Amino acid sequence: MLKRIILILILPLFLIAGCSMPVQSGSINEQGQWVPDRSIEIIAPAAAGGGWDTTARMLARTIDEEGLADQSFGVVNKPGGGGAVAWSYIHKRNDPHNIFISSPPLHFVYLNGQSPFGYEDFTPIANLIADYGAFAVREDAEWNSLEDLFTDMREDPESITVVGASSPGSMDHIQFMMFADKAGVDITKIRYISDQDSGGMTSVLNGSVDVISTGVMDAADQARAGKLKILGITAPERLEGDEYLSTLPTAKEQGIDAEFIVWRGMFGPPDMTEEQLAYYEDIYKEVSESDAFAEVRDMYGWDEQFMGSDEFREFLDEQSDDLENILIELGFIEEDEDENIGQ
Amino acid sequence: MFDGILQGFQVAFSWEAIMFVFLGVLLGTIIGMIPGLGPISAIAIMIPITYGMDPTIALVMMAGVYYGSMYGGSTSSILLNAPGVAGTVAASFDGYPMAQQGKAGKALAISAIASFVGGTVSVILLMLFAPMLASVAILFGPPEYFALMLLGLTAIASLSEGSTIKALISAVLGFMIVTIGIDSQTGTSRFTFGSVNLLDGIDFLIIALGVFALAEVCFLILNRKQKMKGLSNIGSLKLSKQDIKEMKGPLTRQSFLGFILGVLPGAGATISSFVAYISEKKLAKNPDEFGKGSIKGLTGPETANNAATSGAFVPLLSLGIPGSGTTAVMLGAFLVLGVQPGPLLMTENPTVFWGVIASMYIGNIFLLILNLPLIPYFVKILKVPRPLLISLVIVSSLVGVYAVSFSTFDLYLLVIFGILGYLMRIFAFPAAPFILAFILGGMMEQALRQSLTISGGSWSIFYTSPLTMFLFIIMIIALVVPAWRDRIRRKKEEAKVKKY
Repeated sequence: MLKRIILILILPLFLIAGCSMPVQSGSINEQGQWVPDRSIEIIAPAAAGGGWDTTARMLARTIDEEGLADQSFGVVNKPGGGGAVAWSYIHKRNDPHNIFISSPPLHFVYLNGQSPFGYEDFTPIANLIADYGAFAVREDAEWNSLEDLFTDMREDPESITVVGASSPGSMDHIQFMMFADKAGVDITKIRYISDQDSGGMTSVLNGSVDVISTGVMDAADQARAGKLKILGITAPERLEGDEYLSTLPTAKEQGIDAEFIVWRGMFGPPDMTEEQLAYYEDIYKEVSESDAFAEVRDMYGWDEQFMGSDEFREFLDEQSDDLENILIELGFIEEDEDENIGQ
Repeated sequence: MFDGILQGFQVAFSWEAIMFVFLGVLLGTIIGMIPGLGPISAIAIMIPITYGMDPTIALVMMAGVYYGSMYGGSTSSILLNAPGVAGTVAASFDGYPMAQQGKAGKALAISAIASFVGGTVSVILLMLFAPMLASVAILFGPPEYFALMLLGLTAIASLSEGSTIKALISAVLGFMIVTIGIDSQTGTSRFTFGSVNLLDGIDFLIIALGVFALAEVCFLILNRKQKMKGLSNIGSLKLSKQDIKEMKGPLTRQSFLGFILGVLPGAGATISSFVAYISEKKLAKNPDEFGKGSIKGLTGPETANNAATSGAFVPLLSLGIPGSGTTAVMLGAFLVLGVQPGPLLMTENPTVFWGVIASMYIGNIFLLILNLPLIPYFVKILKVPRPLLISLVIVSSLVGVYAVSFSTFDLYLLVIFGILGYLMRIFAFPAAPFILAFILGGMMEQALRQSLTISGGSWSIFYTSPLTMFLFIIMIIALVVPAWRDRIRRKKEEAKVKKY
């Protein structure tokens, strides 16, 4: 009897496990250009509705509507492990028809040992947009600038609490630590609270926590309504475009020499040929320069920041080093290990 | 503000909006009714479809899908014991026994009416108080949430039938399973055994479908000789005067309580439905009927989860803070459409704000007229030959889980939890405390540790806030009063025995 149940329950699994597309590699035409065999899968390593998904869908739509490619570009969601599930899938398949969108969590998840694959295990294709972090306090808080805040924190780093949506060692946490570190605060003593469910916004608005480390857009909306005060943003220069956003002070102009760019770009599988890379790089360059995508950027408040493959890789090297140093200082990872940094 | 409301109604009553509200609630009901698919998958499916649509119309439809799937979700809880949404788990406690007693029609009618009342009352509250309630939504910090979750846990005591020890073991198991995954306070992974697939922890849906739906399926397969009484007789839809009288109390109480709990981000439909179930059981004159097909036990959670669904729009629309997994996906949908929910939405985009709220009246009416006449057809599913029905439940459970994560690993987990659920059932370990501990445990642990980080390790944070104290006092009352009442009753009985 029990056998029958197990059979009934397990049978559908084999059916599902059986269907997966074969790995194909495309071909090279007479002009030496790569020609894909089938449609391209843009993998969003998260569920529908998030930042990765939105960007991927908007990119796919622009490519489709502007007719920038012969093949169709479709978005596939592969959530799990903060991206790790999708990355191991892409790495394993190593199919040039699978590309994916990513952002700084690619560094964090890898550096914290939650994924065996980092940006170096994939082929950076191009970066498209940039976003920035913001540090904000409640409207009636005693601090009016990052310097005010960091002065207090230098004296007694344990007296102030910081909240963010990501867990320690990830984006919201580390972006704050980068700036606090540059401002001379003992970052190993800062009390950071992670609130992934309803975000730390509630906790800052009701005064349970002092500072929130989040994205510019999230903080700006509350600040515009007069509920939060943005002390500083992580961009290298003031933001342009929106009248309100351009009033937000950068940390740099307050004398803290650090920046943190929340980039969003495309990556391909590990072993891409030059032709394959050129194929994608060209398409994304055209996307970035198109009017249609400029409209999309305006709509979502994204900054244009195109980087080709080589430039993108250099940028990633630099950012990865910066982040690694902070993580070492905080004791999340050990200095000696180069490969496969464990927990 | 009044202008805004008028404007909202204008939008909501345009033929286009009415059409899309109808479409939304219809799709929502259908998706919700399929065991395994709930509002999260329903909205996620809608997001790519609505790209490029007029934002107000798209959001009106999306909201319709959301509360429509909540409405439909209880159907699969009641008929098949296969909750696809955490908010409808409590509806299965009394709804499924009712269906098995041959009162499936009545159970669905009660559920439809309770959902309608809960939904409508809460939309009125939403419309009147949304701007003011924004400040209520941020009233709760980590210590208050911890107290609220602890209060929710007292439900374990009332959910246990038979052995309390078995109920506690089952709850501990739930707590253990929720610790799997990345710990968000330290960033280390716990009990993942190096598997990438376990980093996010185990999804609620896998647990609910495994322990409820698949366990039930196993049970049906292994007990083929034992006939399900209700199968041939689905009963009448009609509610007697007595039934309506019984429903009145929970309808009024839980519409308000559910709405208020829904406003709190993080609490939402699940907690409010459990709180509704416990509070109705505590207030009832005949608590023994609960779990065996009590009308109050079904009306309470059904009213509350729909009321909470509207309540959840308060923090979402007026603060831009999503209170649950579903509203987080909704927030994503708003952002995709270029609408930023938050404190400025009401002034900068009154058509969207009030349009969505106003459309919910129409949506709720649609749901009632859509659902009541269709109940006889829904319950026919119970007449489907058992082998077919069982395969249907298995397939849709697998599809539901796969649609959330697109991972085959999760399907294996589902089977494991199905077997666990079956074993728990034959050894008489109740499943409800297990799932409740799983739902509340994660949030409770986080809230406790957040509180202690804020206070620098001092426990005083839990008794310096009046709100936390208030919640603790309710909790003590909830624990002590029934025990005390039991004792008095027992003494009376003893006295009676002595007399004779």
